[in-house]
Amino acid sequence: MLIDFLQLTVAGLSQGSVYALLAVGLIAVYTVRQVVNIAQGEFAMLAGIGGAWLTAAGMPLIVAIFVAILSVTLVAIAVERLIVARVKNLTTLFSMIVTLSVSILLQAIMLLIWGPEARGLPRFPGENLLIGGVSIRSQELWMLGALIVVGGGIMLFYEKTRFGKALRACAEQPIAARIVGISPVMASVLAFAIAGFVGGVVGVVSSPISLSIWSGGLLLGLKGFVAAILGGFSSFRAAIVGALLLGVIEAYVAGYVASGLRDGVAFLILILVLTFRTQGLVLKPTAVRV
Amino acid sequence: MTDSTAPTFVGNLTPRKRFWATNRGTLIGCAILIVVAIIIPFTASASMMNVAVFAMIFALPAIGLSLLMGLAGQVSLGQAAFFGIGAYTHAILLTKYDVPGPIAATIGVLAAMLVALLVGLPLMRLRGHYLALATLGLGFIVMITAREWDFTGRTTGIYGIARPEVFGIPITNNGLFFWFVTPFVVLGIILALNLTHSRAGRALSAVNDSEVAAESLGVSTYALRLKVLVLSAGFAGLGGVFYAYQVAIVSPQIAGFQVSVEFLLMVVIGGLGSVWGALAGAFLIEFLGEGMSELIPALIPGATGEVQLLGYGIVLVLVILLLPGGLVQATTALWRWVKSKVPGKAAVGMTEVDDAAVVALPRISAPLAPGEPILQVSGLTMRYGGVVALDAVNLTVPAGTILGLIGPNGAGKTTCFNIISGTLAPTSGTVTFLGRTISGRKPHVAASHGLTRTFQNLQIFSSTDVVGNVYMGRYRQGRAGILRGMLGLQAHEQRSNRGVAHDILQSMNLTDVAHEEAGSLPFGRQRMMEVCRALAAEPALLLLDEPMAGLSGAERDVLAELLRRLRDAGLTILLVEHDVAQVMSLADHVAVLDDGVLIAHGEPEVVRNDPAVIAAYLGTDVDEVETELTDLEGHV
Repeated sequence: MLIDFLQLTVAGLSQGSVYALLAVGLIAVYTVRQVVNIAQGEFAMLAGIGGAWLTAAGMPLIVAIFVAILSVTLVAIAVERLIVARVKNLTTLFSMIVTLSVSILLQAIMLLIWGPEARGLPRFPGENLLIGGVSIRSQELWMLGALIVVGGGIMLFYEKTRFGKALRACAEQPIAARIVGISPVMASVLAFAIAGFVGGVVGVVSSPISLSIWSGGLLLGLKGFVAAILGGFSSFRAAIVGALLLGVIEAYVAGYVASGLRDGVAFLILILVLTFRTQGLVLKPTAVRV
Repeated sequence: MTDSTAPTFVGNLTPRKRFWATNRGTLIGCAILIVVAIIIPFTASASMMNVAVFAMIFALPAIGLSLLMGLAGQVSLGQAAFFGIGAYTHAILLTKYDVPGPIAATIGVLAAMLVALLVGLPLMRLRGHYLALATLGLGFIVMITAREWDFTGRTTGIYGIARPEVFGIPITNNGLFFWFVTPFVVLGIILALNLTHSRAGRALSAVNDSEVAAESLGVSTYALRLKVLVLSAGFAGLGGVFYAYQVAIVSPQIAGFQVSVEFLLMVVIGGLGSVWGALAGAFLIEFLGEGMSELIPALIPGATGEVQLLGYGIVLVLVILLLPGGLVQATTALWRWVKSKVPGKAAVGMTEVDDAAVVALPRISAPLAPGEPILQVSGLTMRYGGVVALDAVNLTVPAGTILGLIGPNGAGKTTCFNIISGTLAPTSGTVTFLGRTISGRKPHVAASHGLTRTFQNLQIFSSTDVVGNVYMGRYRQGRAGILRGMLGLQAHEQRSNRGVAHDILQSMNLTDVAHEEAGSLPFGRQRMMEVCRALAAEPALLLLDEPMAGLSGAERDVLAELLRRLRDAGLTILLVEHDVAQVMSLADHVAVLDDGVLIAHGEPEVVRNDPAVIAAYLGTDVDEVETELTDLEGHV
């Protein structure tokens, strides 16, 4: 009984760390550009499918991982330069339509190149653990580790470094940002690069367990989105906590209620949060953007 | 000066940017559509006919979404949820409860609208991406519920829906079905077009131009937006009803995200907010999708599955980058080009403006006898964190007078002004207007009682012309809501308001630019137009935020003279102004704020000689004070 519960919790936390990283990528872009990037999940799928294809072609795992993450980062920069930056009058409404079309485009490209089958990277090295009857797969530890290293790193970069803070200020005070030496163009490219990098990391660490498929990015990105909303689209910490919570609740619902309802949890939370508490889990909201 | 007041047809007032700007346009368009719809089933091939039927069905949710995006400025990423709710309700009522078709269809549409109402009630208060995200979530919830619930048939869905029968004729083939749907689409188009031209539609497009200005004229943004969302869901629900009939099986994926994306695509390609665009977009996307799923596998061997996505993605990106206005923008550009090639009649010469003529004053409302207090401000305090912007300010404004509110920069004038007009809620204290507390309510509440304002940074409605702006000032005098607007039952009201708008323009010498785009006027005339717009609301109290800023000397004199005459006619005016000389010569009373504290209030003569005012406002340097005073004497 208890073991089942703990087992579900572990599964939930590892899945939650995927959502958390995606939320970090979404917030990284939103704070700089005020763009809700619907294509965030596609970045992850692209890295997963691409990495799996490379290893299948004989490339060593570690090299394939690096190539996949780097390529996706470049794709994200290309998306920013070739599409997002070129839209005149980028309102909230338009930004969503633009990133949605990017998402569809990436899906279609994946479908054409790699076909409709799901692919997975081989497992990362490491021993599975068995603690008190609860088994923890090594890959799950990799997922949590990725959150701590990459998610934590990006959070510290934005919150603690001068450069990162200036980057965040870019949206509200472009002139102040310029004084510190960041041009809005530079800031936007960097934000998308971070989003692409995070997406790439999520893609490769989750692919061995969850598999990657051309159409999977949207739902995954949307879960990240729910987590970002829980962080009020501004707080990394609140979003990460929210994402882990979301992962765990999903696991409980799938385990105790019905696995088919699993995907509904996130969206129910989404509507409840938007209805009753738009600042999400943020305790001290600076200013609610309405 | 006999040119302006004769009312012409109402459609004249619609924004010039729209291609189909007139009621005549609606009629011609629908006539063409009906003729085409009658012919298509005789000429089209069987597979074409199949696509055409779906395009017609999908046009309904697309039109609804277009209204939502164009009028309410919000995007729904879950339009398919409402489509699905309509389809499921209809199908379940038909197959499980043997409800007659028309009743089942009506309930289906109402169910979609009800869900939209429940979702919209909390969410339409928020701006930005919130509604988009919530509707997206709703789409997944509807799909997952349908998939997991026995009542909705889980993954199999609801099947066995009988073909509809109209006047005893069973609708057994695509041609008949096409004719079956078309009348509803035509009706939907007429209702939607009427709505965009109606009082409510104009108010909503004004809200998209400047929310604060629209609210200051009495527009309740939230209520209107919510109604548009519900209406939009109704269109989607109706589409769902027809879909259930046509496919005869309703399964979970029709509420899915892909379908929502298709609807969005139709609207974006057609042109945001355009009803005809949505119809055109529906046909384009359906045929594009059909073409793509044949073309792409032919071009790229081995491509399988939903490859038309590639086409959708490319088309969306290209449209957004190259043609953000969609098909409507393209058509308008083409139309302009054709017009420029065809030598037309020379533009009619400008109406001559007789500056010397004494012009009629616009009508104003004077609910109180002169001298009675119309506005009372008591204990008004505003704190921003630790900073006190206003400290227990008390003021009374007698009806039929002009009160000038002055003070150095940062004295709290604007804060005070914004609280009175309702844009800001005070930390404590109240504002009472005509005996009603208006502080802390939204601006449209004060406006509905007869208080309106102008803006220091102009807030013009740039999507319409000058007369359209002034016409918006008449919002409070109108009654017609969304329903009456859709049914087109407000021509009389619009015509009389249009006459009033022209009269007011005439009284401010703006008749010659009545049909110019508001944004193209020089600054001074835009400011005059804003005053016209405020006067069109027939206010009892007019708040002017730095009305003289940016005006030429001559324009200042015209405006000052107008304000005096309005005051003599009974209007109460409160103005915040930097130009001290103008205020001293114009106002009956002057109130001086310094550091959030009211340091003087009284007749100009008294205030001017008040040592506190001289010290705090004009500066403590004696020479400076004297120069200022001499300057003042010169003006008075």
